[in-house]
Amino acid sequence: MHIFIIVPFYNEQKHIVDVIKGLSKYKLPVVLVDDGSVDNYELKIKNLKLNNITLIKHKINLGKGAAMKTGADYAFDQGADAVIFMDGDNQHNPNDLPKFIEALKNNGHDVVLGTRNFTYGVPLIRFLGNKFASIILVLFFGIYVSDVLCGFKAITKKAYKNVRWESTGYGVETELIVRIGKNKIKTCEVPVKAIYHDKVKGVTILDAFGIMFEIIKWRLTL
Amino acid sequence: MIIGLQIIALIFSFSMIYVAVLHFKRKELRKSEIIAWVSMWTAAVIIIIFPKLLRTFANTFLVTRVFDLMVICGFVLVISMVGSAYIRTKRIEKKLEDMIRKEAIKKAK
Repeated sequence: MHIFIIVPFYNEQKHIVDVIKGLSKYKLPVVLVDDGSVDNYELKIKNLKLNNITLIKHKINLGKGAAMKTGADYAFDQGADAVIFMDGDNQHNPNDLPKFIEALKNNGHDVVLGTRNFTYGVPLIRFLGNKFASIILVLFFGIYVSDVLCGFKAITKKAYKNVRWESTGYGVETELIVRIGKNKIKTCEVPVKAIYHDKVKGVTILDAFGIMFEIIKWRLTL
Repeated sequence: MIIGLQIIALIFSFSMIYVAVLHFKRKELRKSEIIAWVSMWTAAVIIIIFPKLLRTFANTFLVTRVFDLMVICGFVLVISMVGSAYIRTKRIEKKLEDMIRKEAIKKAK
């Protein structure tokens, strides 16, 4: 099975080098999707050995969902059978990758969802927000996923065709779960560690309100 | 006699006609669009000067005051325009997203 790793990022000059170094030991093709960054990350990665790494650059910032879609479209065009998404802020530990690969290769799951554990250092507010999102999805769609907003996930080409999302921003994680549930795709969850380096990044309360409206829209339209 | 509020409304309406014509001269509006905008603001000018013209119309819709009818019409117009602007924005966003994503993939290195 040909697996690509996709890392969407925006203004991550502080962390992108560590992300690349962390991934280098797995010898898997990596697709970095720069979502319109305006920092100097290119200077930082210039001196790294970028074997097996493809850089795709959005001219303007479109959002995480759009960056993930660009990465996935590219990877599947290049012959990937499955892709693994990781956040570009070095929040995810590459040592968890074998769990995803194992679930994709040996267990035949079409979607593998990373699940952060409260004991692994998820801030309380994010934990509560996540649980709230899980409950909302159960109420609206009858789907339960223990960590809806985790960006560490894997998806096969077959599943991607059915769940290709429309969200361009942070709504992508929720939309993906909704589409997975609607299409009854075989999924599993694997525990992952998450380290929060930057408290001001990620989903904000305003994003969460926007996602709530989107959930109502998906309930009516999907 | 024209009162203060009518003067303000007239100034606003004439300014809007001026803005519409200006955009037409800059070729940012089509002929049909300029006709629609100028007709709408001309109608507004006539109603502002002769508000009693709307009396019969207001009675037909069981609206007590002409002013109330104008407010209701204003709301309907604004809501429909916001709705149509939202849809257009969404379409443009989608086109822009597709264009940027395609170009990014083409230039992948």
